[in-house]
Amino acid sequence: MPPASVFIVEDELIEAEDLRQTLEKLGYIVTGIARSGESALESLNTTRSDIVLMDIHIAGRMDGIDTARRVRTLHKIPVIFLTAYVDETTLERAKVTEPYGYILKPFDERELHSVIEMGLYKHRMEEQASENERTIRVLANAIPDAVMLLDHSRQVLALNNAMEYRLGRIPSEGGEGPAHLPDHYGISESILSRLEETIRYGRTLRFEEQAGTDWYEISLIPITGPDPDHFRVLVQYHDISDYKRLEEQLKTEGITQIEHNMEQFQILNDQIRNPLQAIMGYVNLDCVYYRQHIMEQIGLIDNLVSCLDHGWVESEKVRKFLLRHYRDNPDEGPETPSVTGHGGGRG
Amino acid sequence: MDTVLVVDDDPAIREIFTAFLTMGGISAIAVSGGRECLDLLSTRTPDLILLDLMMEPMDGWETLREIRHHPVAGQVPVMIVTGKQPVLADILQYGGMIEDFIGKPIEFGKFVACLPRTLEQIRDLHQITAQKKEAGTDPALIAEYIHLLHLVRVTQNLIRRYKDNSWADRISLKKQEERLASLHTLLGFPDRFLIWDERG
Repeated sequence: MPPASVFIVEDELIEAEDLRQTLEKLGYIVTGIARSGESALESLNTTRSDIVLMDIHIAGRMDGIDTARRVRTLHKIPVIFLTAYVDETTLERAKVTEPYGYILKPFDERELHSVIEMGLYKHRMEEQASENERTIRVLANAIPDAVMLLDHSRQVLALNNAMEYRLGRIPSEGGEGPAHLPDHYGISESILSRLEETIRYGRTLRFEEQAGTDWYEISLIPITGPDPDHFRVLVQYHDISDYKRLEEQLKTEGITQIEHNMEQFQILNDQIRNPLQAIMGYVNLDCVYYRQHIMEQIGLIDNLVSCLDHGWVESEKVRKFLLRHYRDNPDEGPETPSVTGHGGGRG
Repeated sequence: MDTVLVVDDDPAIREIFTAFLTMGGISAIAVSGGRECLDLLSTRTPDLILLDLMMEPMDGWETLREIRHHPVAGQVPVMIVTGKQPVLADILQYGGMIEDFIGKPIEFGKFVACLPRTLEQIRDLHQITAQKKEAGTDPALIAEYIHLLHLVRVTQNLIRRYKDNSWADRISLKKQEERLASLHTLLGFPDRFLIWDERG
């Protein structure tokens, strides 16, 4: 690893020079020395430094704390404070800028070294963590499913863009704090009612929900969190609308096929009865001796056809059932006669 | 002599029906379909039409509708004689327009033997109805009465004949029967019209 580069902000010329010599002795590269906050910010625009050593009490409009805050937001370079004396108020102000270290003057060479190394390490770790977070976010947003993480008090800890879109939330860049699960076509209701089981008992739940014209398979997956008594819940919306539509189409086609079959059935029964009727007629016209036997046999066949008829009536029941339960607008016949009485009949 | 028109696409049925009707002293005409039936009605008005249901291209119900719109023969009584099982929706729609719904196979001899009495009852109703109209009774109420009388009779006959059919227990005629009874009293029709016996 190449030696780290350090930028110094110190208005005391001798102290600054002393600091530079010590740093160079320790193997660092000193990229510059600024005597005020303003000139520090200007120099940092043109030179690339790994870390900044900042005296809190410096001359100029900005003190070290103000400058550190700017360095942090503008350049994302870690800052270590240097000071001989600090009061409580200043310390409180300094904390807010999240410094990477604190060195009291007069400084000790070894202390200086270790604080700088710790600061650099901490900064590298943080960069890596935020890089990891970016990667996870990219992955989370790459999947089409909407996902979010809820804590045991049912607040949203994290969610991907797809979920933000589904919930109708405006994507925001962190810092907003956890939000309550907003309603989404009433789906949140069905999620909330089941959450307890996952939070408390760590059960994975899967169920289907309709949202407008879309269908989702919703999964509630327990995730171990910091609280040993409660699970966090990963909520996943998997869009199954296409699958549902296909299923619906198959059902409709199935019904059409059944209707077709029943129609065939009906025609066939009618056609069987016609020759039966003819035989019966001819026998009655022109057969005396065997008439009774033939009529008995015809009776048997008629019974069989009646059984088929019964099957057809049963199919009618099946059809009604199918239509009622699988079609949007069941075309059921009226349950009771609805006769107003004017149209037909003989006068 | 009474004339009965047989509408059936099966030539054997037409032949035997004609034979039995003739033997029973009834003048018989037979045609093979709905279109032929309507054509015939332009020139002749039978006393009764025996109508099959499953026919092509014009089925029995369609033929019935056309008959009821016929300028000359619109009032001819129609009896369904078919191998098709009755369907609830059809009965509710057409029950008020027909004398009866009879399932094949039938015993022609018995059936034909019953016909004179049926025709007599039809004429009886027709006659009383004409009298009522002449006496100034509201024709709309009469038409409603006639329609309900047919619907209730056809349905009760079917329920009796097709006891094992699932739709039979789903049909509720209560309202129609009540309305029929009140019209019967209101219009003063003879009680014999509310008594019907098994046919076919």
